[in-house]
Amino acid sequence: MRVKKLRESDKRGGKEVLSRRGKAFRWTISILLILYTGIAIFVTVVTLLDSVKNRSDLLKSFIAIPSSVTFDAYRKVLFENDFIRYFGNSLILTVGGTAGCILLSAMMAYGIARYEFKGKNLLSSYLLLGMMVPVQVTILPVFLMLKKMGLLNKLAGVLFLYIAGISMSCIVFQKFFKTLPRELEESARMDGCHDVKLFFRIIFPIAKPVIVTMALIKAIGCWNDFYMPMILLGKKNTTTLTLGIYRYVGQFTRYMSETMAAVVITLIPIVILYFAFSTQIMEGMTSGAVKG
Amino acid sequence: MKKNKNYLFFITPGFVIYTIFAVIPIIYVVYLAFTNYTGMGKADFVGFENFVRIFHDDRFTPAFFNALKNNLKYLLCVWFIITPFQYFLAYFFFIKIPAYKYLKFMVFLPYVISSTVIGFFATLLFNPNIGLMNTILKSLGMRQNAWFGNPSIAFKLLVLVIMWQGAGSGIMIFYANFMDIPQEIMEACKVDGCTEWQRFTRILLPLSLPSCASIIMMSTIWALGVFDLPYILGGVNGGVGGSLDFASMVFYRYTFGSGLDAKTNLGFGSAISVIMFLFMLIVTFLQNKVLSKFEYEN
Repeated sequence: MRVKKLRESDKRGGKEVLSRRGKAFRWTISILLILYTGIAIFVTVVTLLDSVKNRSDLLKSFIAIPSSVTFDAYRKVLFENDFIRYFGNSLILTVGGTAGCILLSAMMAYGIARYEFKGKNLLSSYLLLGMMVPVQVTILPVFLMLKKMGLLNKLAGVLFLYIAGISMSCIVFQKFFKTLPRELEESARMDGCHDVKLFFRIIFPIAKPVIVTMALIKAIGCWNDFYMPMILLGKKNTTTLTLGIYRYVGQFTRYMSETMAAVVITLIPIVILYFAFSTQIMEGMTSGAVKG
Repeated sequence: MKKNKNYLFFITPGFVIYTIFAVIPIIYVVYLAFTNYTGMGKADFVGFENFVRIFHDDRFTPAFFNALKNNLKYLLCVWFIITPFQYFLAYFFFIKIPAYKYLKFMVFLPYVISSTVIGFFATLLFNPNIGLMNTILKSLGMRQNAWFGNPSIAFKLLVLVIMWQGAGSGIMIFYANFMDIPQEIMEACKVDGCTEWQRFTRILLPLSLPSCASIIMMSTIWALGVFDLPYILGGVNGGVGGSLDFASMVFYRYTFGSGLDAKTNLGFGSAISVIMFLFMLIVTFLQNKVLSKFEYEN
């Protein structure tokens, strides 16, 4: 699998002896790219610095070192503007959406990969539909349906939509399950293990690396989603972090330090996740690309 | 493989929820497009009236086609600027330029950050009044710029911001494609003493291009549905002079923009969605035709 290849990648590639020109070329590119990545560091550091500045410092300059440190903006964002609640909402949507989607898509993929039934191929292509039609096209009927079900402005509505987005992980899981040897299940069945138990006790644990990768990709998508919450949520008690930030950015000149603090609060979990799992996240991106 | 009904346990839950929330809306939007539904009361069948209006409405049509033009312009940027940029970066990581591990890590990083935060970063840099770029220009004694408020550069700037945020995924896919090239070919190439340039143009390029089709297709679908960043940076009306207007934003304005009163014609909104989707299908179809010409024959 590709996932493995990426891990081994560091042992491969251009190890050949380089000409002086080749070397100079590499260094030039490298230095240019280091400058390019400096943008991310620069904006993050400025945001971090400015979020603890007092207002007069902030008005003087964005880049200067603060003369005193204050956590006033954080206090305001978290307690006066309900960001704790937004954080909780985002967390519920992300954890619930990811868990549901991964569980359902793993089950679905296992059903397709390991059983013979009528319409199996049809089902596989049926699942592709969800990937081909972007959410911008279906948002209006989704809005009307949720309204009829009484799920508009309720976290549950968006949660269902996140869970229903099983297409991509289902394809990846199918590929993975097809690589597993059948003997594994045969012997468990001989011992009288039921299919359902077999799936949760044996298959699920084996699939853990793939599950973690796909769960990370899904979780990042849910955490960062802006479009669906903007249209389907948005009342004060169902606002998510991305929406909260958006409202602040709209009034940036008025609430500068609050905006910065809000951005930092949103960034922390995702950056921690990225530092801990960057390899898996990058791998997840490549596994999602269906080849050919 | 055993023949039994147990598969139903595995596929039913996913099938049900996927059908309700992912497939029925597709059918529903097509149905609505032929009605004059307002969100309340009955939906009357009006045939192709909504579609005709898309092409013959004094106020709507120019805005929509301006937006579609922007979508196409953006798509061209994806093909000729963003994708090559990703491809070359993937190549540089593949040949292990100095500090490539750090670079890979950092170049991918913005991809996991929410568009609203990216929008904030862009505001921080490009806000015409207090943004850092203007502060720097001012201290250098140069003319300040309105950036996203300046129709002649807003679009280019948007492409740069999107590229900065989204380059990572494509880079990793291209990178994985390079890794898929058999080691023997690379070895043979080394033994035959070909130069780096020859290796790139004669081996890596032809061997990795076919697998690029899927990523280009995905970014095409994405490019035609682009919404978040232009909406955050240009506002709901698509920036100054419609320079940051895209099809999905026109759709948003016409359906959700006025707060969905009972007068909004949701049938018309659905017709916009359907046209957007047809547009996507046509573009991806044409693109696949072109890409298949480059397919490497084994």
